[in-house]
Amino acid sequence: MSGPPIDGTEAGETAERDFLKVSGLRAGYGQARVLHGLDFSVARGEVCAVLGPNGAGKTTTLRALCGMIRGRGSVTLNGAELLGRSPEQAARLGVAHVPEGRGTFNELTVEENLRIGAHLRTRGRWRGRGERAAVAADLERIYEYFPKLRQRSRQAAGSLSGGEQQMLAIGRALMLRPALLLLDEPSLGLAPLVTRELFEIVRTVNQEERTTVVVVEQNAQLALDIAHQAHVLEAGRLVLSGSAAQIREDGQVAEVYLGVPARSGQGG
Amino acid sequence: MSTLTDLLQQVVEGIGSGAVYASLALALVLIHRFTGIVNFAQGELAMLSTYVAWQLMASGMPFWLALPVTLAVSFVGGMLVERLVIRPVQGAPELTVVIVTVGLFIFVNAAAGLIWSFTVKAFPQPFPDGGIDLAGVRMDWSTVGIIGVVAVVMGLLYLLFQHTSIGLVMRAVACNPESARLSGIRVSRVLMLGWGLAATVGAVSGVLVAPVLFLEPNMMGGVLIYAFAAATLGGFDSPVGAVVGGLFVGVAETLAGAYVDVIGPDLKVGVPLVIILAVLLVRPQGLFGRAAVERA
Amino acid sequence: MRSMTAVLDRTRHGRFALAALLAAAVAMAVPFYFAPFQVFQLTMVLVYAVALAGLNLLVGFGGQISLGHGAFFAAGAYTAAIMLDRFDTGHLATLPVAAAACFLLGLGFGVPALRLRGLYLALVTLSLAVFLPPLLKRLEAVTGGSMGLTVEKPQPPAWSGLAEDQWSYFVVLAVSAVALLVARNLLRSRVGRALLAVRDNESAAEVMGVRLSLHKTFAFAWSAMFAGVAGCLYTWVIGFVSPDSFSFVLSITLLAGLVVGGLASLYGPLLGAAFVMYVPSVAQDLSEAAPGVVFGLLIIAVMFVAPTGLAGLASRAGGAVARRRAGAAASDRSSVAEPPPESTSEPSAPRTPVDPESVEAEPVGAPPRTEKE
Repeated sequence: MSGPPIDGTEAGETAERDFLKVSGLRAGYGQARVLHGLDFSVARGEVCAVLGPNGAGKTTTLRALCGMIRGRGSVTLNGAELLGRSPEQAARLGVAHVPEGRGTFNELTVEENLRIGAHLRTRGRWRGRGERAAVAADLERIYEYFPKLRQRSRQAAGSLSGGEQQMLAIGRALMLRPALLLLDEPSLGLAPLVTRELFEIVRTVNQEERTTVVVVEQNAQLALDIAHQAHVLEAGRLVLSGSAAQIREDGQVAEVYLGVPARSGQGG
Repeated sequence: MSTLTDLLQQVVEGIGSGAVYASLALALVLIHRFTGIVNFAQGELAMLSTYVAWQLMASGMPFWLALPVTLAVSFVGGMLVERLVIRPVQGAPELTVVIVTVGLFIFVNAAAGLIWSFTVKAFPQPFPDGGIDLAGVRMDWSTVGIIGVVAVVMGLLYLLFQHTSIGLVMRAVACNPESARLSGIRVSRVLMLGWGLAATVGAVSGVLVAPVLFLEPNMMGGVLIYAFAAATLGGFDSPVGAVVGGLFVGVAETLAGAYVDVIGPDLKVGVPLVIILAVLLVRPQGLFGRAAVERA
Repeated sequence: MRSMTAVLDRTRHGRFALAALLAAAVAMAVPFYFAPFQVFQLTMVLVYAVALAGLNLLVGFGGQISLGHGAFFAAGAYTAAIMLDRFDTGHLATLPVAAAACFLLGLGFGVPALRLRGLYLALVTLSLAVFLPPLLKRLEAVTGGSMGLTVEKPQPPAWSGLAEDQWSYFVVLAVSAVALLVARNLLRSRVGRALLAVRDNESAAEVMGVRLSLHKTFAFAWSAMFAGVAGCLYTWVIGFVSPDSFSFVLSITLLAGLVVGGLASLYGPLLGAAFVMYVPSVAQDLSEAAPGVVFGLLIIAVMFVAPTGLAGLASRAGGAVARRRAGAAASDRSSVAEPPPESTSEPSAPRTPVDPESVEAEPVGAPPRTEKE
């Protein structure tokens, strides 16, 4: 998995730069191949946006990363291979996936949803006296990020609005203390104002907790606003990679692949 | 005896049999919540558990020791059924899974006949003879005992689901298995647990009803129909509904048998059919069910 | 390429016609080469085949489940028996009446049961199957109660020179042949295609404008009608009906036979009927419980390894042979039952042996029906 032995600092730097390393990722559903070999890396603590038109394979990429579908090639997180693992195993390695459509536990209360997020931390190798207190502290922290959730902590998740459910889904994922947070179309079906608020919180979380984030978005402008790196996916292949600024400046690319007129004053 | 005390007498007896239906209905509802399917073999698994209890007692074990052993065996048995019979068709269309449970029904029924024969066996009554007299309404200790045992089971289940972390995990899996997996929950283990739990709760109904119906491989067939009616009435997703539905069906059955001449004891088995049809026509989600019954 | 398929098509048609002719010849010859009891058994196979063909419409093609087809079978049988016993109508008249009665009965129970998920149909039919025998016992004045009714079997006309069992066989053969053809044509009609659409994807079918509950209800009614026709034939052949012949076990046995024979296959009902007829009579020699053990295990095994049943196995084997001969992928998997229960939900399972490299690419955004991209 790792290359020839090299000196400590260099290896350390590589590990930082290739915190998430995707090589030759191929995946699909049954006979239908969707991804045809993706290669990209995400450095520790960075936000990576994956953009592209509908059906390009964005969601499939995330699903392969978290073990919801099988993928081929190699995906390592901090050196550990993710492919070939089930979602529960991936979660144990620190991958928290917020699926499209949020996937909240609608019959459970908001607080129960969050506690389920921390389920892994109170058992197995993490179990310990300190961890219970840490979970309680994290719950408090999530409520600070999302004050609306605190107000509704005893309410069933199903009774929340779409935006609140998305917040809850992200909150639940954060309760895992993830090494890697995967966000699938967080803006889907939400009002623009709510979406912007949500992305601001993701940015804050990323800055404060140094959580590495891969976000898949249709709304390229929003995603690029919070991302460090970005990749454009088309028909299962990466057609463009670069820093968020580069992608945003590439007017033609933006127009062709993202369907947004470049820098047309949209968003603000 | 006045007509009123007579009526109350019938109601008490109805609650007694209703408690049995409630516990089997509860087992059905548990599995339905976890897997979205109805386990047609639930009654037969309960019958099998009852034979285990009978076998233990036949080898000299007292009832109150045989009961916990039987429940433990049922728990393990339920988990094994999930692992060996249900897991292989997990994710297959609902029809496939239902047919598998029907196959299990036929197999367990016949296997019990093969092992223990189809002759009727007497099953000891664990509760003392006699009873209490409340203003002319007689309540046998056996009725009191059945209601008490079922109430204890409900209470334990409530505690398990509402006040333990494993209960919370189980509810999460029942609600959204995919998200549960993404949160690191080993869903397949939880499903095994759910089947074990359901088999245990079902076993309680079998052991309680055996002294009344006598033990034979087809003992639970009728009870299963009543439990279906109870679960339909209460809502297939509602444990509380299963209990209320069970009691209602028990009382309705007893009253219909006693007061409606056309029905009489032989046609009582038509009561669940009527209840199921009526619920489907009037309130298809059941009394306590959620409005959206359709599950993907 | 096109002419090649045309040739293949024509030979397939030719072969089908040949096979049908051969089958007809064998069917006609059978009663002259077997002992009366064996002829009786074959007659019963045909009777069950009609019931299973009806059940197949519902379960195999409609994707709904009935645990109470024995009740409709009983209703058909009793309709015929009562007409013969009380009104002396003659055999032929009982057939349409039994069919119509069961069709209406199916419609009556289908309307409430099929407004929602198919699950409730299973519950309602199961309760019905359990309720019917005591009801029949109670209605003693008409049904003869527990004693049942004994009626005359159809008598062979003098010109034929046939024995009673042979005549019964031919009568049943004629009726069941027509019934099986009707079932086949129903499936090829608009109704059949709508049913398949519903089974394969309910919500999509609904979006496409298939009137779901209507089609499901009619499928159920048709299916009940076939069971009723089979019941009517049963009365003709046996000449006796009693409540205990139509216990809940009959319903379960019918479903078991269909599953083992092959869901959603045109030949499945025939194979299944042979199962329903012969397995109990063979296994019963071992023990009273043996048929149940065999059926139970077979049902589960079939669902695990071959959801298309015996007929599916046969056509798969046939398909493999044809493929080898033609050197082309046989599209002959006419049996359209559920996909095998792959454990797609278990990513830790071994990877599919199909090498994705060889798969033609680019069906982007068109994943199979159960999963979203």
